[in-house]
Amino acid sequence: RSELSLAAFALLFSELVQYCQRRVASVAELQARLAQLGHHVGLRALDALVARERPGRRETKVLGVLLFVKGPLWRALFGREADKLEQANDDDRTFYVIEREPLVNTFVSVPRENSSLNCAAFAAGLLEAVLGASGFPARVSAHWHKGTTLMIKFDEAVIARDKSLEGR
Amino acid sequence: MAIFSVYVVNKAGGLIYQLDHYAPRADTEKTFSFPLDLVLRPHDERVVVAFGQRDGIRVGHAVLAINGAEVNGRFTADGKDVLEFLGNPANYPVSIRFGRHRLSSNEKLMLASMFHSLFAIGSQLSPEVGSSGIEMLETDTFKLHCFQTLTGIKFMVLADPRQTGIDALLRKIYEIYSDFALKNPFYSLEMPIRCELFDQNLKLALEVAEKAGSFGPGS
Repeated sequence: RSELSLAAFALLFSELVQYCQRRVASVAELQARLAQLGHHVGLRALDALVARERPGRRETKVLGVLLFVKGPLWRALFGREADKLEQANDDDRTFYVIEREPLVNTFVSVPRENSSLNCAAFAAGLLEAVLGASGFPARVSAHWHKGTTLMIKFDEAVIARDKSLEGR
Repeated sequence: MAIFSVYVVNKAGGLIYQLDHYAPRADTEKTFSFPLDLVLRPHDERVVVAFGQRDGIRVGHAVLAINGAEVNGRFTADGKDVLEFLGNPANYPVSIRFGRHRLSSNEKLMLASMFHSLFAIGSQLSPEVGSSGIEMLETDTFKLHCFQTLTGIKFMVLADPRQTGIDALLRKIYEIYSDFALKNPFYSLEMPIRCELFDQNLKLALEVAEKAGSFGPGS
């Protein structure tokens, strides 16, 4: 486990965003591109992390995998745990991972014209890949809410399976 | 103890960032009766004192307000020409506020480029090889500190002459620039800096520097 200079990552991430920006025409497309790149990172990070942190065990419950994401995954990637993990009041498929200041946005000042852009879309793609590869397919999106909120919407099948597991 | 302003100039001499942190406003407001013992004349877009310095009103001070209402360049708030208004004895007694006018952004751009050129001349005239250029310009009301980076960006800070720790502040501003401007994907090199995080952190750094500054009389 080694540490990386924040400056090095920030410069690389800044170049990543600029690279995507040159090839897209809208904010939504840019967020989609960032999510795609995050996807690649997520797939690779998951294997290495599970092998180190939970050797021989696999998360089968939704709550289990979410706590794994909030704690060990965030700590390994960003050096600190996510601030909050919440469930939506009205929907049992939707969960929120909330961070006041995500690491990837540390040096990013979004100009007023594109103020809906949140570069944490990269983290959203990462999370989507991690959940998908762990057997919990979901859609993850980034929003400006209480800082940055990653909204996780699990597939119906996942929730149904989780409920039947609890019943057992 | 105050830091008056910060200027950042790019490699080509263009001003890319400017912040007025504290402006010591030395305005003087006085009531006058006809005839006015100051000589006023128009200059650029303003009416300026040409002769008759007294009581804190210096030559070069501009007319800022008449009877409490701010003037709009050479015209009063109601649209009358200032010089005509002051030439008419029926309008007296009148209260006029004089003071140094604030620089417009165009003027700041011009002055920054001028300093850039003087800096270049200074480093070429220097008898030593590899001169660092103008590091400090001292007057009796302020000190201008300048720091040129390896990439040709100049950071200038205008501060009170008694303020210490400006060297460290210049390095800190360089750090803030490299963090919040250069790592920002939406900032293009050599362009005007329009990054919120840069503004916020710069203001914080200025406040820290002011508090840590030397303790002199009248701070």
